[in-house]
Amino acid sequence: MFKKIKSHFATDDVEVKRQDLYKVGVRYDRLFELIHMLRDEYDYKILNAITCTDWIEEGHFALTYMLTTLDRKHTFMIQTMITREDAHAKTLSEEFKQAQIMERDLHEMYGIDFIGNENLKELSLENWVHTPPLRREFDTLEFVNNHLTFREGRDDNVDTKAESKRLRALKKAEKEAAKKAKEKAETKEIKDGE
Amino acid sequence: MENKHITIFHGPQHPGITGNMSVELNLIGETIQKATTHVGYLHRGFEKLIERRTVIQAFTIVCRICVPEPDPNEVNFAMAVEELAGLKVTPRAQYIRVMVLELSRLAAQFLWMAGQSGSIGLYAVGQWAIADRDLILDLFEELTGARVYHMYIYPGGVRRNLPEGFLERVSKLLEYMQKRLKNYDDIFINNASFKNRAIGVGVISKEEAIANGYVGQILRGCGIKADVRKDAPYLVYNELEFEVPTQSSGDVYARALVRRDEMDQSIHILEQVVTKMPEGEVMIKMPTHRKFKLPKDDTWVKVESTRGEFAYYMAGDGSEKIRRMQVRGPSLVHAYTLLEDLLVGAELSDVALIMNSLGICPPEIER
Repeated sequence: MFKKIKSHFATDDVEVKRQDLYKVGVRYDRLFELIHMLRDEYDYKILNAITCTDWIEEGHFALTYMLTTLDRKHTFMIQTMITREDAHAKTLSEEFKQAQIMERDLHEMYGIDFIGNENLKELSLENWVHTPPLRREFDTLEFVNNHLTFREGRDDNVDTKAESKRLRALKKAEKEAAKKAKEKAETKEIKDGE
Repeated sequence: MENKHITIFHGPQHPGITGNMSVELNLIGETIQKATTHVGYLHRGFEKLIERRTVIQAFTIVCRICVPEPDPNEVNFAMAVEELAGLKVTPRAQYIRVMVLELSRLAAQFLWMAGQSGSIGLYAVGQWAIADRDLILDLFEELTGARVYHMYIYPGGVRRNLPEGFLERVSKLLEYMQKRLKNYDDIFINNASFKNRAIGVGVISKEEAIANGYVGQILRGCGIKADVRKDAPYLVYNELEFEVPTQSSGDVYARALVRRDEMDQSIHILEQVVTKMPEGEVMIKMPTHRKFKLPKDDTWVKVESTRGEFAYYMAGDGSEKIRRMQVRGPSLVHAYTLLEDLLVGAELSDVALIMNSLGICPPEIER
């Protein structure tokens, strides 16, 4: 199998990662051919997942497809690179029904357009108009500071040092007041006694 | 009177929903014409958070990805980190991990029993199951210091050794469970009120289950012997004897029977773990966490959770931070590809019953 993949797809990027896990890197234009070959000739008939990694420094996304054999003993990671700018790929939902929701998830998180996928509607983010959040350029802290405001009185918004100083002073004042009240009461008792 | 279409939301706050998600149901009378799953009620951005943290900092949040069953997340995370960093865990730590995973499986099955019985109004079962689950949580509290989020299966081993006499207490609990589970057969599994509701409902065909990549009890309920512990053994599962229970009818009742049999198998595995527990260290020497770097490489690890195959993709980039970690639990495909199809033609009163039998956990959909 490895020999055929290497010669047919002109790649040396085939790796045995574990007894049950193999990985192959393939050019995007040969991706579907390889997936079809593994499915039809080598029993890799189950699609477990599609995942994406953002290599912003290199200017591409790594799309990885996990295919497992029918007896579930071997998994193949098929990796291909697509450019980050105008990121798009053909859908796999015609071959595997479950790819539909996996691609919808990646579309939302990375902004990849899966051509042919009929439903790429928002999944867990509502009315999201900003950079897709799993792209590396999306800075969570910057987004929070620019778009959200802390509610008045929330613990998150408290300067903890100043607050603990204030609480300590308050406690001290209370203690002193109690002490004074006690002294006053004692003096009164003595006076009454006299 | 003419029946008209009505649309109602089942969830996100509903006793019959398994977590914070909702299903939009289009009904004629009480029969469902169309079902649309909606998530987004508890998106906490775990995968984004993890990219900005060091390996050990990231470890503290993975258990929060699934409340009913956090331990498969911990073990997946630990196994992925160990594989990328080339670390090898001691045999004792591996046995302890199996023990924690199986105890957690039992606890999650009790929680399922509470939900599944509650979905048809058998509330007594739920009260028993929660009380019995608590006995397992007591052991977890003693072992890890926490009842639900243990943060115990640490990269490199487990966080601390077993307390004195712990294995005896596990054995004692297992003896109790074996007797106790028979009571659940009487009140729940063999109860006519459950059988009448569950048999022939939520039927999934074998062909569909294979083609669409369903996992866990859905496959085993259709008669397919699929279990990661047998198919691609991890930790020390290849040294332990156990069966993979199956049923053939593919309905809610078949899945319930599979789960019930799995509880017996978990007890059987735990008994072996108690007898075979090796001596030795539980943690290997780890690099200082600020200097702990993962090489530029990636991997895919998977375990069998209570609901089926649970996998992580992890990629390192040579820095102290994880470049990418994707959680692939069974719920994403089950809640969309499967549930939206399965509910069409079902009755409104069966929605909770069907959802519970699939064991959908929304936090792992919107990681």
